[in-house]
Amino acid sequence: MSDPVVRIEGVGKVYGGDRLRVEVLSGIDLEVREGEFVALMGPSGSGKTTLLNLIAAIDRPTAGRVLVAGQDTSALGEGDLAPWRHRHIGYIFQLYNLIPVLTAYENVELPLTLSRLKTADRRAKVETALGVVDLLDRQDHFPRELSGGQLQRVAIARAIVTDPTVLLADEPTGDLDAESAERVLRLIERLNTEFEKTIILVTHDPRAAEHAHRVLHLEKGKLWSDPEG
Amino acid sequence: MRKLVWRNLLRNKRRTIFTVASVTIAVLLLCVLMAVLATFEPAATAASENRLVVRHAVSLQFDLPEAYWRRLKTLDHVEAVTPLTWFGGIYKDQRPENFFPQFGADPVTLLDVFTDIQIGEDELAAWSAERRAFLAGRSLAEKYGWEIGDEIFLRGEIYPVDLNLTLRGIYTHADDESQERQLFFHRAYVEEALGNPGSVGTYWLRVDVIDNIPAVIETAEAMFENSQARVKAETEQAFALSFTEMIGNVKLLFGAIGLAVVVSVFFITANTMAMAMRERSTEMAVLKTLGFRRGRVLGLVTAESAAIGLLGGVAGVALAAVVLRSVANALAGVFPLFRVLALSPDVAAIGVGVALVLGLLSGALPGWVMARRPVVDGLRRLG
Ligand SMILES: Nc1ncnc2c1ncn2[C@@H]1O[C@H](COP(=O)(O)OP(=O)(O)OP(=O)(O)O)[C@@H](O)[C@H]1O
Ligand SMILES: [Mg+2]
Repeated sequence: MSDPVVRIEGVGKVYGGDRLRVEVLSGIDLEVREGEFVALMGPSGSGKTTLLNLIAAIDRPTAGRVLVAGQDTSALGEGDLAPWRHRHIGYIFQLYNLIPVLTAYENVELPLTLSRLKTADRRAKVETALGVVDLLDRQDHFPRELSGGQLQRVAIARAIVTDPTVLLADEPTGDLDAESAERVLRLIERLNTEFEKTIILVTHDPRAAEHAHRVLHLEKGKLWSDPEG
Repeated sequence: MRKLVWRNLLRNKRRTIFTVASVTIAVLLLCVLMAVLATFEPAATAASENRLVVRHAVSLQFDLPEAYWRRLKTLDHVEAVTPLTWFGGIYKDQRPENFFPQFGADPVTLLDVFTDIQIGEDELAAWSAERRAFLAGRSLAEKYGWEIGDEIFLRGEIYPVDLNLTLRGIYTHADDESQERQLFFHRAYVEEALGNPGSVGTYWLRVDVIDNIPAVIETAEAMFENSQARVKAETEQAFALSFTEMIGNVKLLFGAIGLAVVVSVFFITANTMAMAMRERSTEMAVLKTLGFRRGRVLGLVTAESAAIGLLGGVAGVALAAVVLRSVANALAGVFPLFRVLALSPDVAAIGVGVALVLGLLSGALPGWVMARRPVVDGLRRLG
C-alpha cells in the first residue's frame, strides 16, 4: 500500500463573518491513495467544489490540514503555492474555462509556458496530451469553433499536460449531452487505468460515479463512503 | 505568453483602438505644446546691456524707413546705429534643421554696435569690399562645412529676391555660442535688387552708458511720434525679456493643459483596463489555478496596457511631427520664429515616455487589485 497522495485531516470550512456565517464543511477526513479514482457526490450546495478547491489549494480551510503529496499546503505562502499547484494539480472545470483567444493547442501549451522547456519538448508534450484526448486534428481551432465535448477534452489535455500528481474534475460532464458525457467519462477512466492518474471526480450523476473505485458522499458538511466502497 | 498579450489586445478591437487613440491625442497635444515652448526658448539668450532695438511700433513685421538711420544717429548718448533686416530665406530646403537667421546688415557700422562680434581685420575688410560677400558665425560655418570662398544660395521667401553669396569671413562671439549660428550679408544687395525701397527691419543702437538708456528710449520714440511709422525702442534685454515673460505665463498655461489631458487620459485607459479585467476575471483565476503567480498575471495585464501606451505614444509623436511640420511651413512666412517649430528628439522621447508610464500605471493599478483577488472568487463569478 502506497502513501496517500491526498490526506485531509479534520478539515472545516466556514464562510462569512459573524452575521452571515455558513459552515460548509466540518471535521472532514479523507485519504486518497496514489492511482485511486474517487467519485464525490452530494446535493447542490453541499460543498463539493469547496472541498476540491481546498485540495487544489486555491482556497484555505478554516480548520484542519490538507496534505497533497506529503505537503501541508497551508504551510505554503502565496508565492510558493503557484509553482506547487503547477506541479501537483490538474483541474478540470464544469465550464471548461479555456482561454477564448488561444487555440486548442495554445490552451494546452499554456501551463508549459511556466516551465523551462525546449520548444521541441514542449511541442511533444502538447501533442501527446492532445493525442490522448483525440483532438490532434482540432489543435488550431479556437474554443468558439469547438463543441462542448471537444472543449472539455481540450481542458482535460490542458490538465494532464504537466503530468500533475492529482487530477481534480468538478462536474466535467455537467454541461454535456449524454453521448459527449460518456466519451469524457471514458477518457477520464482511461487516464486512471492506462496512465495511472489519481483522480477525484465530482459528479451528480450516479452512472458517472460507477466508473470510480470508490464513491464518497458529502452532505450537511459530513463525508461518508458508499457501503460497498 | 506574448501571444496571449497580443491576442487580448486584439480581443475588443474597437475598445483598444479607442484607448490607443486617446493616448495618441494626449501625446500629440503634449508634444506640440512642448515644441512650441521650445521655439521661444532661444530668443531669451544673451543680451548686451547697452544696446537698444528700435522697431516698428505696431509689429516686427513692418519695416522702417532708411531715413530714420540718419536721424537716430543724431540722438544724444547714441554712439552708433546699425540696421539689421531679417531676410528669412531658405537654405537648401524647408527642413527646420536647415533654418538659421540671416540678416541684411551694413558692413561699415555693424561692428560699431555689435562689439561682441569678433573677426579678423582681413576678413572684415574682405567682407566689406564685396557686394555679394557674407559673414558667418563659426558654429554655422562648421555645421555646413563652409570655408572662405564657398558660395551659397538663399532663396527669398519674405522678399522676392534670391541671393548668391560668397563666404568672406567667419566670426566668433565673445560669450554666446548661439550668436554664432547666423549670417550677415550686405543689405544693399537686397535693396538694389528690389529697386532701392529704402526699408530697414530694425535699428540697433549702442548707448554710451547704461544709465542713459531710459532717456534714449524716450527721445527715440518721441522723435517719430508724428512720423509715417512710429517706433518702439527697447533694450535688447527687454526685447528678449518680453519673450521670456510671455513664455513664463505660456509655460504655466501649457503645463496645466498638458497635465489635465494626461491625467484624464490616464483615467480613460485605467478604466478601460479595469473593464477588460472584470470581463476576464475568470480567466485570471484559471491562470492562477494553472500555477501562474500573481506577478505573472499582473505582468500579462501590464504588458497589455503598456503596449497600448506605447502604440498611442508612437502614434502621437508621429502625428505631432507631421502637425508641427505643416504648421511650421504654413506660418514660416508670417511669423519667422515658427520656422524652427519641430519635434526634437527630447520632446519625442518625453512623449513616448509619458505614454508608456501612463500605459503601465493604468494596467498595473487595476491589475494589482485583480491579481490579489482570491482564486475562488474569480472562479465563482461566472462558473
Ligand atoms: N465565498 C462564499 N461565501 C459564502 N458562502 C459561500 C461562498 N462560496 C461558497 N459558499 C457556499 O458554500 C456552499 C457550498 O458551495 P459549493 O460550491 O462547494 O457547493 P457544491 O457542492 O459544489 O454545489 P454544486 O453542486 O451546486 O456545484 C454553498 O452553500 C455556497 O452558497
Ligand atoms: Mg460545485
